[in-house]
Amino acid sequence: MLQFFKGRQSDANAGAGRTALLGRLESAVMEILWDKGESRVQAVVDALDRGLAYTTVMTTLDRLFKKGLLDRTKQNRAFIYRAKLSRVEWERRRASDLVGGYLTGPGQSRELLLSCFLEAVGDHDARLLDEMEKEIRRKRRELSRRSAP
Amino acid sequence: MIAGFYGRLACLCLASFFLVHTAVGGVVLLFVPAALRRAKTMGARAAAGLLFSLRLLPFVVASFVVAGLCVPSYLSFEPRGGTEPLGAVCVIAAALGLLLWALAGTRVAAALASTIAFGRRLAKGGRELQISGQAAPVVIVDAQVPLLALSGVVRPTLFLSRGVFESLAPEELEAALRHEAAHRNSRDNLKRLALLLAPEIVPFARCFTALENNWARFGEWAADDEATRGDEQSALWLASALVRVARMGRGPKPELAFSLTACGCGLEARVERLLHNQSPRAEIRSGSDAARKNGLLVAGAVMTALLLMPGALAFVHELLERLIG
Repeated sequence: MLQFFKGRQSDANAGAGRTALLGRLESAVMEILWDKGESRVQAVVDALDRGLAYTTVMTTLDRLFKKGLLDRTKQNRAFIYRAKLSRVEWERRRASDLVGGYLTGPGQSRELLLSCFLEAVGDHDARLLDEMEKEIRRKRRELSRRSAP
Repeated sequence: MIAGFYGRLACLCLASFFLVHTAVGGVVLLFVPAALRRAKTMGARAAAGLLFSLRLLPFVVASFVVAGLCVPSYLSFEPRGGTEPLGAVCVIAAALGLLLWALAGTRVAAALASTIAFGRRLAKGGRELQISGQAAPVVIVDAQVPLLALSGVVRPTLFLSRGVFESLAPEELEAALRHEAAHRNSRDNLKRLALLLAPEIVPFARCFTALENNWARFGEWAADDEATRGDEQSALWLASALVRVARMGRGPKPELAFSLTACGCGLEARVERLLHNQSPRAEIRSGSDAARKNGLLVAGAVMTALLLMPGALAFVHELLERLIG
């Protein structure tokens, strides 16, 4: 199942017009921008605290800008970057693209996704019913203890 | 558009109904959050009654205005014979009113047809069984499906599948049947039909979903309360019947039926409520009945006063003349 999802993730990455998945450094940079609101390259380098070169972070920010995830404005010959989407909007778009990818994909992957969902819901229901039954038994024992002389 | 005497009356009735219904419906929508908060502090049966009344209020007020004011004033003051053009506002409002009624009628017809077909299909292969403590016989259906449902409006029939009959312990079955009997006694299927008949504020919009869903939820809770009557042992039997039937899966259920578990009203919350004895010993029905009677008396008095008020019908007729354009 996990392999199936991993496979689909790389497909989604390659798909044009889809929300791209982020690498580790890109994710860290996005987290900083979501926290700070807007930052210069040097501020991101400092916040990363990983000893990365200025140019590496600059390239990463530029890549995120080209992916359409950041906005930037020039101020005194330096760029100031800010996230285009909020963290919630980004997560929502990513989830929607991922699921949308399966649903518009070949019939087999669509059915597999739906059956996985149904299986998960069914498992959850069964677990919930087990818990309820356990609680009813516990309550019945308690009641019989109370009514016993 | 030119119309004769009765054509104008029909048009005015539909237009007035639409305008009054929309206005009152809009006001009701404003009060929905407060009503839901209030309902949570009431007993389940009273809460269901409050939400049901609120949902039907626009329909009742609009019907009263049309039948009690518009029609008498038109018949009293409108000169017979001759034709008169109808304004665009009147025609559009009448068309929307007609659409509201057509949609409500379609909903009711579809629900009645599916419920009747469901009942006939099950009754054909089923056999009636008189179970002790039950006012009406139960129809046992020879199937393994999870079926325990009260179906029908005028004379609701309780259908029980052999699968459920065999898998429930006698005490569980007794509690489940008491739950369905509570639905029968409070005429919940008839109320559901009334909700289907009550139009929406505007065609194709679902504005009262929160009221209807919560009415169904409180209706289930009220039936649970009446089945257990605050007795902890009965509550446990009903809770275990709910879990056992839910484990069997989802059974068939037409629109105008109450099924033990397939109402989508949150099985977990119901079981939780039964286990923690949150159902009151016996809800004071007489109090809510008295409030309902008082409400009806007040409404009747207001209606009579309006009709007897000198110049009331003439005033309404003047309004109708403006509406007609």
